[in-house]
Amino acid sequence: MAGVAWHYVLKFIITGDAAVGKSSLLIRLTDQRFLANPDPTLGVEFGSKLITIPEENKVVKLQCWDTAGTESFRSITRSYYRGAAGCLLVYDVTSRQSFVNVRSWLQDVREHADPHLTCILVGNKIDLCTDDPNAPAPKRKREVTTEEGELWAQEEGLLFLEASAKSGENVEAAFERATRDILEKVRRGVFDDDRSPGVKLSKPSSGVALDEQAKGGCC
Amino acid sequence: MEFLSQINIALRGPTGQPQSASDTIARLADRLSPSTLLADRRAAVLALKGLSRDCKAEVGQLTLPGLLDVLQNDAEVDADIGKAVLETLIVLCEVDENAPAAARELGYKHTDVVLADDKIAHKLFALMADHSFYLRYSALQFLSVLLQNRRQVVQNYFLKAPVGVTSLIALLEDKREIIRNEAIFTIQSLISQSPEIQKIMAFEGAFEKLFNMIVGEQGLEGGVVVQDALTCIDGLLRFNQSNQSYFRGSSLPPVLLSLVGFPPNLPFNTPAPQQFALQLWDVPQKRANVSLVVGLIGLLGRQAGPPDGLSIACTRCLTEFGLASNAPTNIKTQALRLVPANVSALPLAEMVVTPYVPVPDTNGEEWDRLEPASALDALVELILHGEYNNIIDGERRTKDGMELRGAALGIFQNFVQKEEISEAIVQAMVSQPGSQAPVTPLLYALTTVPVSPLNIPSVTSTHFATLLFAHLLRASPRAKLTARSIVPQASAQGGGGGGGAFFVPADGDAPPPADDEAEADEPQTLLQILSEHLSLAFLTRARTDLPDKEAREWDRLCVGYLCLLIQWLWEDPAAVREFLEAGALGVLVEPINQTAEEDAMIPGLCAFLLGVIYEFNREPGEVTRSTIHPILTRLGIDVLSGRIVHLRDDERFRAVGPDNFVAASPSTHVPPHHPHQGPPAAGQTKAEVEEGEIWFDWAFVDFWKSNYYTIQKGITVDPNSLSSAAGQESAILIASLRDVIRGQAAEIEKLQTQLKALTNASSETEALRAQVASLAEQLQSSDQKKREVEKEQEDLLVLLDELNSKRRRDKERMRQANMDVSEDEDDDDDEDDDEE
Repeated sequence: MAGVAWHYVLKFIITGDAAVGKSSLLIRLTDQRFLANPDPTLGVEFGSKLITIPEENKVVKLQCWDTAGTESFRSITRSYYRGAAGCLLVYDVTSRQSFVNVRSWLQDVREHADPHLTCILVGNKIDLCTDDPNAPAPKRKREVTTEEGELWAQEEGLLFLEASAKSGENVEAAFERATRDILEKVRRGVFDDDRSPGVKLSKPSSGVALDEQAKGGCC
Repeated sequence: MEFLSQINIALRGPTGQPQSASDTIARLADRLSPSTLLADRRAAVLALKGLSRDCKAEVGQLTLPGLLDVLQNDAEVDADIGKAVLETLIVLCEVDENAPAAARELGYKHTDVVLADDKIAHKLFALMADHSFYLRYSALQFLSVLLQNRRQVVQNYFLKAPVGVTSLIALLEDKREIIRNEAIFTIQSLISQSPEIQKIMAFEGAFEKLFNMIVGEQGLEGGVVVQDALTCIDGLLRFNQSNQSYFRGSSLPPVLLSLVGFPPNLPFNTPAPQQFALQLWDVPQKRANVSLVVGLIGLLGRQAGPPDGLSIACTRCLTEFGLASNAPTNIKTQALRLVPANVSALPLAEMVVTPYVPVPDTNGEEWDRLEPASALDALVELILHGEYNNIIDGERRTKDGMELRGAALGIFQNFVQKEEISEAIVQAMVSQPGSQAPVTPLLYALTTVPVSPLNIPSVTSTHFATLLFAHLLRASPRAKLTARSIVPQASAQGGGGGGGAFFVPADGDAPPPADDEAEADEPQTLLQILSEHLSLAFLTRARTDLPDKEAREWDRLCVGYLCLLIQWLWEDPAAVREFLEAGALGVLVEPINQTAEEDAMIPGLCAFLLGVIYEFNREPGEVTRSTIHPILTRLGIDVLSGRIVHLRDDERFRAVGPDNFVAASPSTHVPPHHPHQGPPAAGQTKAEVEEGEIWFDWAFVDFWKSNYYTIQKGITVDPNSLSSAAGQESAILIASLRDVIRGQAAEIEKLQTQLKALTNASSETEALRAQVASLAEQLQSSDQKKREVEKEQEDLLVLLDELNSKRRRDKERMRQANMDVSEDEDDDDDEDDDEE
């Protein structure tokens, strides 16, 4: 149990329409495997992962809450927005509708979450429309182009990536990019005190200590 | 109460006639309307609060909507009215469990009105964040009342409340203890059976806040609030996989372990520190707190899949608690029961513990540290000889002590599930040629000669030894095979007293006197000794002058021997033959033949053992199936079969369940017996300590239930028929399938090594191929270079040739011009020409 040490604990939420692959992204991140036929998430599921941001020389513990995309759970999952530091807004690149609905998810996030929350737009399932000629004919057609996603993300001030939970492409990168952005905000002093419960500084020296309250900025 | 009378006066009509309660209430209800002055409304609410206790129904019927409006509109404006209205509503909704049904119904009815929509619930969540102490406090109280009455409805509202969770969690950090404690209490019922609320609580940091609070309250030495906080943590974790993984991954589990003084990062080869092993247990609250923490540690120790660092640390902590601490007996029992069933993954034999025993007559203030021993030895020692080697309980068998030994037995059973382990343990009891195997404590206890009058600790050890040995043999044909070759040394039977294997001077346990006749003969095998002791026990039991209490102990011994033999001889024809040759038949027939109406247990077991012998007597020997069959017929097949079935009806047999092992001793009012004014027990010097006893363990009951039918069938079958019941066939089938599996496993292993070799070979090929490719490339490039060089050379030769002819021409011209021309160069030229 030695070496349970991290500099920050960041809370992430993963939202987006049902069946866009939120749980699969999380399992890919935490277990490095692909969840082929997951059951729809009920309420919320938890997963965590330690990542290192080399240029900041910081170990960060990501606590991810994977929320249900089904409408009936929407009021429950909203409760999680407020406490989060980062948000993965997921859509399915082969489903126009899921991209359209991302707007309403973002509206939800904007309404309930901390204004400084870092949001990254993730277009999932790019493995389904790969250009690789060796691959079996793509099962489904891409309905949202990369440019379109990127443009909209820019308009809304979101980070953007396309990823595949199946191949693992860009999954860790998405979390890393969001983490970097949050750390950058921490450095600028945006998350000054315990205004945001989503960021916590932890004593790196001992694994025994409780998570301290973030003490006036970093370092 | 002055204002009350004032109001009553004011409300009295002009006639001055006293009004009925319902008239008063109706008027007060009118005053609740928002059109009145705030002060009037406040007075009305206070008046209603006074009336609500006595006229619950009327107040509820007439004023509930008005009160709820006041709560909605005025509570935040005016803390006094808010407090009053909340207190009134609490009275209206409270349900007293002891009240008559009608009164309770009223409370539920009012609750339903309050919860008709989510407005009031949301208001309460908002009020919890209010600054006024009384508002917060009453809002919390009202919420708990509502939760008690209609938990699910409140839970649903709570999940959808915009700020509910945050404000409730914030209360855990309230400086005012009353509010904080009330909040913990409310959270306890709020999270009950709602995984979604549990998860969001975890998300909002409930674990961290609760732990901060526990640490702030002096940890486990703290009061009942620590207990409440721990109960809350338990509620958040127990049935919630998602929260468990959150918790495991957080920095809290080490804190949990350090709460009980166990260093979370203790290296495996370092002993647990003394401040963990020896703690003060005087405060009853601490016991309750520790018990909750032990429960949580048990939860973390249980882990699907391969054990990780955390689950190993937890399991070790539990084991240390149970085997090497001065914790109260019931906490030890709890800890040992929670040791995960896959304990064989943990190196119990290599793990070293340092047990402690109380110094007699020091009232638990001084403790002796014993030599470090392997956890397995300490475990067996605990099972055989009880807590602290029985020096506290002495002759008594306390129920707590028996439960502890039972829990330890459970760990042993799990540990020896693996055949290699049980086999190795049995193997260690066998003498190697040329050297004598040490007498292990288990073997010593198993072969202790019973002598009248029986000494209770010694009977108990022997009985536990039979249970331990049965666990070793039950599932392992190879262990049975090895066990047959155990020849205990004479010293074991001779009662030479504590050999090296005893790390505790046996003071509660007087060694039995030597058995001379056994020593005279050539050494007996374990099986022979057991059969002899069984016969001895039957003989003594048959004496009529035995006091009831002692007869009961002899019965217990017989049961122990019989149960072990039944499980040993099952499916082991060689053991059956040896047992028969030891003269077992006569021993068994006698008790079956008794007309024992009062006791079905021993005849039942004997009949069953006889059946096992008949069924599995498949090796040629002096006593064959045909020899036994007439005996069976003479005893009567039906009688035997009836005896077997009757065992099932015996109370002592029926009472045993998977978690239920120790029975209370029947009406044995032994005068309180204090051999030494012992430690922990001395803290609560109760004369009456409940005593307990054991007869069977669940493993045997389970074994018996699955196999008695086979035996019942088996005894009816003709001696020459090969195999009697379907059970036998399936057993053979299973055995053959097992062989197949074993073969396949070996084959898989072989193939795997082959595969590995092949992979190695193929990687070699790969390397060679790469080498070839690079060589070919080199060859190609050098070829090309060579070709270039050749071409250059050719060009040079042509050039040379041209030069030569030019020189020749020039020489010719020089000669013609009568210039001096060197000869040798001509020669050279000639030579050159020749060459060309």
